[in-house]
Amino acid sequence: MDFDWSPEELAFRDEVREFIAENLTEEVAGTIFIDTPARVAFVDKMAERGWLGMGFPEKYGGSKKPIPLAQFILTVELDLAGAPIVGKNVGVVANTILNECSEEMKMEFLPKIFKNEGQWALTYTEACAGTDIGAMQCPAVDMGDHFEVTGSKLFITSAHFAKYHWIALRTDPDAPKHKGISIFIMDADSPGISLTPMHCIGTTGTTHRTNEVFLDHVKIPKSRLVGELNKGFYYMMQALDYERFAILSFASRVRRFGKIVDWVKNAEYNGNDRPIEDPVIRRKLARMATRVEVGTMLERLCICAAMERVPAVEAAMNKAYGATVGADMAELALDIMGPFGYLWAGAEHAPLNGYLVDEHLMAGHARVAAAGVDTAKSIVARRLLGLPNALGKPVLPAK
Amino acid sequence: MDIKLSEEQVQLKEGARKFMEDECTGEFVREMEKSELGYTKKMWQQMAEMGWLGMAAPEDCGGLELGTVDLVILAKELGRNICPSPFLSTVVIAGEAIARAGSDAQRQEFLPKIVEGELVLAFAYQEYTRKFEPGVIELQAKEDGDHYVLDGTKMFVEFAGGADILLVVARTSGEAPASSGLTMFLVDAKSEGIASKRTPTMARDHHYEVGFSGVRVPKDRVLGGVGDAWSSLEGVIEKAAVVFSGYTGGVCEMMHERATEYAQQRVQFDRPIGQMQLIQSYLATLIIDIYGSDTLTFFTAFNMDKGRRVRPYVAKTKAFAADTVNNTTNVGAQIFGGIGYMEEQDTTLYLRRGKQYQLALGGLDYWEDIIAEELIDVENPTLLT
Ligand SMILES: Cc1cc2nc3c(=O)[nH]c(=O)nc-3n(C[C@H](O)[C@H](O)[C@H](O)COP(=O)(O)OP(=O)(O)OC[C@H]3O[C@@H](n4cnc5c(N)ncnc54)[C@H](O)[C@@H]3O)c2cc1C
Repeated sequence: MDFDWSPEELAFRDEVREFIAENLTEEVAGTIFIDTPARVAFVDKMAERGWLGMGFPEKYGGSKKPIPLAQFILTVELDLAGAPIVGKNVGVVANTILNECSEEMKMEFLPKIFKNEGQWALTYTEACAGTDIGAMQCPAVDMGDHFEVTGSKLFITSAHFAKYHWIALRTDPDAPKHKGISIFIMDADSPGISLTPMHCIGTTGTTHRTNEVFLDHVKIPKSRLVGELNKGFYYMMQALDYERFAILSFASRVRRFGKIVDWVKNAEYNGNDRPIEDPVIRRKLARMATRVEVGTMLERLCICAAMERVPAVEAAMNKAYGATVGADMAELALDIMGPFGYLWAGAEHAPLNGYLVDEHLMAGHARVAAAGVDTAKSIVARRLLGLPNALGKPVLPAK
Repeated sequence: MDIKLSEEQVQLKEGARKFMEDECTGEFVREMEKSELGYTKKMWQQMAEMGWLGMAAPEDCGGLELGTVDLVILAKELGRNICPSPFLSTVVIAGEAIARAGSDAQRQEFLPKIVEGELVLAFAYQEYTRKFEPGVIELQAKEDGDHYVLDGTKMFVEFAGGADILLVVARTSGEAPASSGLTMFLVDAKSEGIASKRTPTMARDHHYEVGFSGVRVPKDRVLGGVGDAWSSLEGVIEKAAVVFSGYTGGVCEMMHERATEYAQQRVQFDRPIGQMQLIQSYLATLIIDIYGSDTLTFFTAFNMDKGRRVRPYVAKTKAFAADTVNNTTNVGAQIFGGIGYMEEQDTTLYLRRGKQYQLALGGLDYWEDIIAEELIDVENPTLLT
């Protein structure tokens, strides 16, 4: 049993830290979800260093860092610093392409991803298909030499600046619902695509925009089918296992907790009221510190499993625990702040400029997105504990 | 980084599991609850033969000098079957205290006997106080020629009735609350002036209130520096807390396995109750905590073995393991419905231990104060990665 990083891993971590210290300006840090020129430039620099394709074969533009955990180290360090992370393109799209796609597709898209040429939207959700993603209806009709798509998708983050959609569509309306979905790579500038912005609640500083995407007779070339026809649901599930820890590592919660503790340490109100001297508050922080540590451990478990296989169960645990801790942490912080907790960004005395108000308001989203806490627990119940599917027909135990 | 067990560690775990399954049944645990000693000399001897009692001891005292990680692996297996034995007090607490603070003569006198299973030690620390801080200790030890004379009362002394030696922490100077001025003594359990009475507990394990009235202890039984107990005892308690967290982790594992199995078998509304989402959520939530607690326990044990400063990590380990064992035994019992609360049901052995284990070896207050101190008051907090 060895919990230590290897010297190479530590050296790489130092390299990442140095890079962040040099390149992470305030402008870049505040824009995790938004594609600005500064953000693109920051990620470009990482691409130049070969950090996006780390561990992928060189012939696809990958770089052979022979460091098994380099990708994870990178994500964690970026997340700890509040920098843009590389999780979605690399963690979800590139991994699936590498595992499932034709040689041609690998040659076409992997080098682009590793060079940060164009962002990707993950285009799954529909009005009728959220958690039950297999219920999606938006069809891709085989027109002989291409597929044609008419319908709409909801909550598609990054669609307003993406170059590609990683889109799931129904290709067989008659098959059982999980067996008639395929994934395609769709150019975002294809004729027939239009968007309506959807804005999350939250203070202005970190407003997170997502989109409704309308598709009107959009053509997708046949060559853009990912893997095999009608296997899309399986690819989505596999990619979700990555997404549950690749997009938002637990480090973002570690960072947030650090900010909260720093704020509590320095806060002072009338009447010599220093929250940090309040024994009840100290205990509450201690309890949260413990949960943060446990979250870090669950992520470690996940990462170690990921070196050998798709860590489905571990990723679900990570997701369920992390999202719960994230929500409770924001709650705790606002409780400590008292009435100052509900001051909006820009208000003179808003602690941390209302940052935790955002976190609180959007905390539930983390519990719902990417197969939420409830779904993640179902995964643990079924795949780890061997309990029968709650949504299926009664399964009586063997006598 | 590779957090899997090594081949030897897998062997240790599997061997222990087999032995526990064969020897430490629910029936055996119930027998021990009712017995005089609370454990059997036979099993203690078997543990010695398997090398368990010498795992931690230094090689020059006949031990294997293995690390905390290995102790945790074993403790988990003991915990799975809630093995009634003075392992923690003898091997992990007293053995460790002697190895750290003992003179050469003391090490040679006591440790080989511990390794051989010839000696059982009990840890007499807690007094009539809710707190676990050493500073609250009042039991007096007064110098008298070549002896010290002990007066006062210790509580919650596990296995005092069946122990040969009591490791007593007493005040040689200063006044409560001060953690300086404390001294450790290795007191012969049969010394004149010692009166023990068993205290009934939720777990029906063997806790004693031990009165000391003019108990004379020769000076060569002072362990470590006079007035300086805490400098070595703190590390000993830290190690014990981590090993105990492993033990309670085993308790959780077994309770959870049984509850899951029951959820698969028990049919209501024409389906196994484990097919209901609410039951699944209980079981999934618990197992996530159990995995998290387990990984944290091993992480802390690993870093402890590397000789790193682990104070905040020990505290988090113990605090979380404590909550997890209480929660798992409570919620686990609930999965069984009515039968989960019946005397003859084996899982109630676990239910009766969950809360007690949460409160034992320093409750949440003690460990959470340490976490807060390390998080807030320490200039450069320890960060292990
Ligand atoms: C800010 C934001 C960004 C997003 N970005 C993207 C994106 O880029 N691409 C994309 O495809 N989608 C995206 N989504 C959509 C997101 O994945 C969905 O919101 C999510 O899948 C939940 O679907 P729903 O909103 O339809 O809720 P529903 O599925 O209707 O769920 C409602 C409630 O019921 C619960 N529930 C549902 N099924 C079960 C069950 N079996 N057991 C127990 N409880 C259940 C849910 O947990 C939830 O609490 C985004 C959403 C938001 C808010």
